[in-house]
Amino acid sequence: MTASGTLPVTGSARRLVLPRIRPRPRWLEFRLLVLVAVTVIVGNVSLAATLDGRWGLHDAAGLALYLGALFAAHVAQVLAGRRTDQILLPTIGLLGGISLLLMERLPQDTIRQSIFGTTLGLAQVQLVWLLLGLAIATILGIVVRSDSWLRRYKYTWAALGIALLLLTFVMGSVVNGQRLTLQLGPISGQPSELLKVILVVFLAGYLSENRALLVEQDTRLGPLRLPPVPYLAPMVAMWAIALLIVVVQRDLGTALLFFGVFLALLYVATGRIALVLIGLALFVLGSIVMGQLVDTIRTRFEIWLDPFADPLGAGYQVVQALHAFARGGLLGMGLGNGLPEVAGRLPIPEVHTDFPLAALGEELGIIGVIGVLGLFLVVVERGLRIGASAADDYRSLLAIGLALIIGIQAFIIAAGNLKVLPLTGVTLPFISYGGSSLLANSLVVGLLLALSDKGVEPPPPPRVGSRWRLPRRAR
Amino acid sequence: MDGYVLVLWAVRLLFLALIYLFLARVILTLLRDLRAAAREPASRPGRLVVLASPTGEPPPGHSIALDVVTPLGRDVNNAVVIDDPFASAEHAVLTFRGRTWFLEDLESTNGTYVNGRRVSGVAPVGYGDELQIGEVRMRLERSA
Repeated sequence: MTASGTLPVTGSARRLVLPRIRPRPRWLEFRLLVLVAVTVIVGNVSLAATLDGRWGLHDAAGLALYLGALFAAHVAQVLAGRRTDQILLPTIGLLGGISLLLMERLPQDTIRQSIFGTTLGLAQVQLVWLLLGLAIATILGIVVRSDSWLRRYKYTWAALGIALLLLTFVMGSVVNGQRLTLQLGPISGQPSELLKVILVVFLAGYLSENRALLVEQDTRLGPLRLPPVPYLAPMVAMWAIALLIVVVQRDLGTALLFFGVFLALLYVATGRIALVLIGLALFVLGSIVMGQLVDTIRTRFEIWLDPFADPLGAGYQVVQALHAFARGGLLGMGLGNGLPEVAGRLPIPEVHTDFPLAALGEELGIIGVIGVLGLFLVVVERGLRIGASAADDYRSLLAIGLALIIGIQAFIIAAGNLKVLPLTGVTLPFISYGGSSLLANSLVVGLLLALSDKGVEPPPPPRVGSRWRLPRRAR
Repeated sequence: MDGYVLVLWAVRLLFLALIYLFLARVILTLLRDLRAAAREPASRPGRLVVLASPTGEPPPGHSIALDVVTPLGRDVNNAVVIDDPFASAEHAVLTFRGRTWFLEDLESTNGTYVNGRRVSGVAPVGYGDELQIGEVRMRLERSA
């Protein structure tokens, strides 16, 4: 008798539950949103007083549009009447508001994009992305009631992700020595942003199905006891993919993010710190070897170790960021009071995508930076809490993985800006300029919202694992 | 002009203070939420939802709260009585140790299955896993 006794899906579990929609007030969310609105308006007044030298609003229309969208998202959720999390929306609303203030303050011609004949500057393009992101998060939080479309097709999602990765390897255009951007017709974007969500969807499925077997200690490697060899394979594959990203895309940040999320989820699923330490050691080892072989990576490491070796050349960006933090000091120069440009160019190259934290450090000081990092911590805490009270292991792992994407990504780029880690080109979630990043992170928040509802469809019965992965002993 | 600069600095500090006010309010809410979760009785860390039971004992659709040690079998002295011709008198035992559930098959004649795989000895089971004894299928869930 083996796994052949497949389990027919019972009628009760598959019954389509048509929800009765009844509005449900969300006062906590409302109160927090009011606080967010006041904060953003005060920030805007401060910006206007500094930049324009008068009391008033800097960009009243954009501000009204953004706050209107936040409250529209709130009203939509009230009308939908689901018992989803009430803290996530205000938190990302505040992060987005800070992002908008930052983008309004940077030179507007950094980005010029023409949509339907009108040319939009940096802040306006960012506003469009923020509105789209809010829409995505809200719609997902309202509409998604079942996770079976993620759970059932985990290998399909994995295949899709690998296809996307290969497509970027082959067809991606090279910007600044990194092969990140994929252009398909009129649409261009960074697939790695979407890939990180797919990665978590796959890992949650894989780990929740094979958790029991990963805990088993079967292989011995010196003093270490490892899971049976077949179950180590995905770990090695993950490691290989991360290194491949480093080699082909020259993208240390994404590799670190993927591998970090993978190790964190592995730890959550198995509770074994040894696996994590081995993985971390493997990654550091791989990175050092890559650093010797690949020029771009080696340069990054050298800049990290001593940016002042070439302060006007290779180390310029990092040195300028450090100066920005130094100018900011404890309380900052005030919004709009930093150095906008030096000799007609941005003081820190790519400040709107790679160094938003340095710009915030200059204008809001260390106090402001810590506040912003605190907001990211809140998002992570919500994700862990949603995971801890989820109905089954798959949802736990999915929620925790999604939250950790945002947390680890924020950590990597914040550490890069502060010269704690080598600088890598990932974005600061919800604050950096960039459509792919904003939309992918909104997708994450939308899924977290959907998962936080206690009244969702019960998890489907687990499927029998495929037989080729069964060790003989288990039969 | 001095007045203007003073007010401007006040506005700048107000902005920072408001960010922290938001954080403080959120963190207070989170703490309250965590305390409430900690107060909830954790004595019954799970339940079994009966998915299918041809003989009607245990009744299909019912959910059974689990103790830290829950014996299952055909004998009436078990905490979960499974009246199935393929079940042994003392069939299996579910135990909650540390943070995980474990299922031990008590050398039953026809075996115990987790997600369709036969269990030998003690096996860890997770929430959402499906147990099968004879023709009775049950799902382990977190207690609501």
